[in-house]
Amino acid sequence: MKVAVIQFPGSNCDLDIFHVLRNVLHVETNLVWHKNFNGTDYDSAVLPGGFSYGDYLRAGIIAAHSPAMKHIKEMAKEGKPIVGICNGFQILIESGLLPGALLRNQGTAFICKWVKIRNETSNTPFTKTIRKGAILDIPIAHAEGRYVNEHDGIRELNENEQIVFRYVDNQGKTSENSNPNGSMDSIAGICSLERNILGLMPHPERASETILSPFSGSDGLRILSSLAQI
Amino acid sequence: MALEFCPHLLKSEAPTLNLTKSLKVNLTSEELAEARRRLGREPNETELGMIDIMWSEHCSYKSSRQALRTLPKTGKRVVVGPGYDSGVVDIDDGDVIAFKIESHNHPSAIEPYNGAATGIGGIIRDILCMNCRPIALLDSLRFGNLESGNSKWLFQNVVRGIADYGNCTGIPTVAGEIEFDKSFEPNCLVNVACIGHGKAKDLVLGRMDRPRDIIVLVGGATGRDGIHGVTFASRVISEESELDRPAVQIGDPFTKKLVIEATLEALRTRKVTAVKDLGGGGLTCALSEMSNKGGKGVEIKLDAIHVREEDMTPYELLLSESQERMLFTVDPEGQDEVLQVLDKWNLPYSVIGRVTDTEHLIAKYMDKVIVDVPSKLLTNSPLARRTAKKPKAESNAQTPRFTNPLNLSDTILEMLSDPNVATKEAVYRQYDHEVGARTVLKPGDADAAVLRIMGTVKAIAVKVDCNSSYCYLDPYKGHAAAVSEAARNVVATGAQPIAVTDCCNFGNPEKPEVYWQFKEAIRGIAYMLKGLKIPCVGGNVSFYNEDEKSGRSIKPTTTIVMLGLIERLSLITSMAFKRAGESIVLVGKTFSELGGSQYHRLIGFEGGKVPNLIISRERASIRTTIEAIRSGYVTAAHDCSKGGLAISLSEMAIKGNLGLTIDLKAVPHLQSMKAYEILFSESSARFILTSPESQTPKLLALARRLGAPAAKIGKVSASDYKITMGKERLAECSVKHMREVWQKTIPQAFEMN
Amino acid sequence: MPQFTIEVIIENKKMARDPEGETIAKELITRGGFSKVKSVRAGKYLRLVVEADNEVQAQQIVTDMANTLRIFNPVVHTCSIRIKSEAE
Repeated sequence: MKVAVIQFPGSNCDLDIFHVLRNVLHVETNLVWHKNFNGTDYDSAVLPGGFSYGDYLRAGIIAAHSPAMKHIKEMAKEGKPIVGICNGFQILIESGLLPGALLRNQGTAFICKWVKIRNETSNTPFTKTIRKGAILDIPIAHAEGRYVNEHDGIRELNENEQIVFRYVDNQGKTSENSNPNGSMDSIAGICSLERNILGLMPHPERASETILSPFSGSDGLRILSSLAQI
Repeated sequence: MALEFCPHLLKSEAPTLNLTKSLKVNLTSEELAEARRRLGREPNETELGMIDIMWSEHCSYKSSRQALRTLPKTGKRVVVGPGYDSGVVDIDDGDVIAFKIESHNHPSAIEPYNGAATGIGGIIRDILCMNCRPIALLDSLRFGNLESGNSKWLFQNVVRGIADYGNCTGIPTVAGEIEFDKSFEPNCLVNVACIGHGKAKDLVLGRMDRPRDIIVLVGGATGRDGIHGVTFASRVISEESELDRPAVQIGDPFTKKLVIEATLEALRTRKVTAVKDLGGGGLTCALSEMSNKGGKGVEIKLDAIHVREEDMTPYELLLSESQERMLFTVDPEGQDEVLQVLDKWNLPYSVIGRVTDTEHLIAKYMDKVIVDVPSKLLTNSPLARRTAKKPKAESNAQTPRFTNPLNLSDTILEMLSDPNVATKEAVYRQYDHEVGARTVLKPGDADAAVLRIMGTVKAIAVKVDCNSSYCYLDPYKGHAAAVSEAARNVVATGAQPIAVTDCCNFGNPEKPEVYWQFKEAIRGIAYMLKGLKIPCVGGNVSFYNEDEKSGRSIKPTTTIVMLGLIERLSLITSMAFKRAGESIVLVGKTFSELGGSQYHRLIGFEGGKVPNLIISRERASIRTTIEAIRSGYVTAAHDCSKGGLAISLSEMAIKGNLGLTIDLKAVPHLQSMKAYEILFSESSARFILTSPESQTPKLLALARRLGAPAAKIGKVSASDYKITMGKERLAECSVKHMREVWQKTIPQAFEMN
Repeated sequence: MPQFTIEVIIENKKMARDPEGETIAKELITRGGFSKVKSVRAGKYLRLVVEADNEVQAQQIVTDMANTLRIFNPVVHTCSIRIKSEAE
């Protein structure tokens, strides 16, 4: 299993996800400069978090036009698993690979904190080992994480089981208070219709080693370990 | 170099031919004479402008460098001491940490968002220059009271500026401190520090050692930023165009991120021999400092510089302070390789000259020599003669003793809601403090932030501290206290303090009372550093922080950044109470020392004596805590300082969502102290530790052995928060309520009005 | 070829809400006592200089660009393109 972590100008969390994949999960991983990326060399790709192109104009929009995304689209067509984390999720949306939009947080400020997300489906390559309804502790850090879609778009996501993670409270229920950014339907992460593309705002690479977790857990690994097994 | 907006800089003036007459420089007539003497001739206009900037306070440290030399700067872990872009410390196994702090006070007071942002930009560059990856930022901020609309506005925007810039560059802001006091109205203080990680074998010094190396200017194009109307030749600067140009530059964190990655990648080619950032004093400062350090010279072509404005004069090119620029010296054989890296990251650059062995800075424009000055002349300004005079005691020398407040519980709650004590969570939630996946102890978890060192079992603890109330009442003791508090803060997380860097913030040094404060401050810092055997590896000085109208200066404040080393991850200790039933142990003796305290601030009293500092007590407490943590006796640790016992205990309870029962009779203290004195005294050299019951006797025995007074003063409880004096009930609070008041204050300051 | 200044304004669609605009209106303007200011929309403003034969062509170029490059996200944004009064 060979995974590429794409580096755009302004990507920040590339080294973090690379570290988890290589040193914690022992997956063959490469950091690949976006201009040099060739999807045929890899079985899977991760678009990391950060501020590609400074988030100028709109988070993810400029990176969405990178030549690397042509390759990502090819890989997606071939059914290879693609994960977009935070800015990576924004890039997937702006490339049209995932539906909807990610806008400024409801509270308008950047938020960095640990949240609880609920796994909504085990029917994706990334969550097949996670029970539906399982609660994961994972941190978020973003200013433009509010998921928005048209009414029909939200309905389709629900009908097609494309909502993979929702923000929940300590009891595992969605609520206004436990929704950190005002995302519609408490959406924290979604997958494509074909299910092989996952986009999520929380950072699983920051929750993959117990030393970094205020709960001494490693729930992020439950998502990322899928990349070691596919 | 601090990018300071110097209020004394020139107004615009139409250039004339006889420029030495009409060019208002800040050099005194003695300095001018000295410049002529050293040069051996009259400097031309451009050279004069360069000397003027290089010999200004903010570039030359002429008022401060003599005193700063008295700070201890050697030690077995010191790899690079003061005098370079940042200090570097050895943390074993070939790993090094570079760190530095800088001020950006004046720009932030005018334009807080960009002032703070560009402050962060500046400090990051200093770490990059050593070939270390920036891995953390710290901010130490001071504003006037929040009732002032101006201070509230500054606070909101400084925080946003730091957040936006730090977050975009992907460097976590992991720790800091914020003080509110009327002396910082309108002169707010914005001190920012950066920590970097590198390898000893890859360290690079900002020094030109090799003649024939190529000089490359990298990064943002050069414009007229920072030049306040001092130009000659073809342009007339009207009032209008002066207004056009912002006094504070706009931060560009995206370009900074590219500069970070490109610089580190270029350094990995091993063909870049030195790196220096361009800050205050622009190209002149960078070229002269780099060449002087290596005993070399430079020859550059001004017309080769990549620019973004037309018709820039040699003066403008040499002194522009445009952001996001670095200087590389490159092995001629590696030029292509290095430039390829810059092309990959799409960074503009220009090859502007070569290192020479003439020891002169020579700048040409179209093959005509414009400037020819010995580098040493620029970098070695004459010292400024300042006099120090102790001010008449403004405040009461003796600390009055008050009666106990009517309701101690209410007092504790009131103190918790004071902006100086209340949680700053609303601030650090805006900072991405986890990017980099190194932050083990996050803001709020403990007295200091803890970052793991990737690829090792080690971690570092970092904190920035100063209590300006102490420093005002007694600059000597107050500053010694800043060092000791910073040391305790890293110790409480399981670290051994190993080095500091400091940022001096004072008023006008030409005023003898202010200069006295500065000298006392350095004396105090030196005293405590020597006593604790901690070297200072670098620092920054910001003078002239005074209200122009009233002449009132800020409270003297030297912020201390303390670096601690944690040998293994298992030693990392946080402050929250962990388990009901555990013992609460107070290490260190409590005296009636409330001068400058949070309690006095609450009751509106300013004056009295600040806490004493006795080196042996400091060392005993520190050693006890370090050893106790190493031995596994400690489950939570907190330094006892602002607000005294009451507040420190409350913070541990709130964090752990547990209560406590404390008997003040058990606190090692002087006889005849009143309850409020025991609870709110801010005596130094104290730690609060929790320990499982079974380990407590061993902890106490250890303290005894190391000469630190220590006693079990109570227990962690499931929910009750009760403080008694023997049988007398003193305070009872609900931890839930305490948390509410503690959390409410700062978010209110972020509401726009 | 003449040059034209074209303004592009990107705003959130109503369904996407506009927390920034709302916050500015409520927390700053209303609290600040300017009750005559009834509402605020926050958005993004781009000013482009375009080389074209005439205004209509210039506007078309920008429209194409906005659509092709997804300068705005049609799911949540409205995008208005207009010519600034002077042609340069």
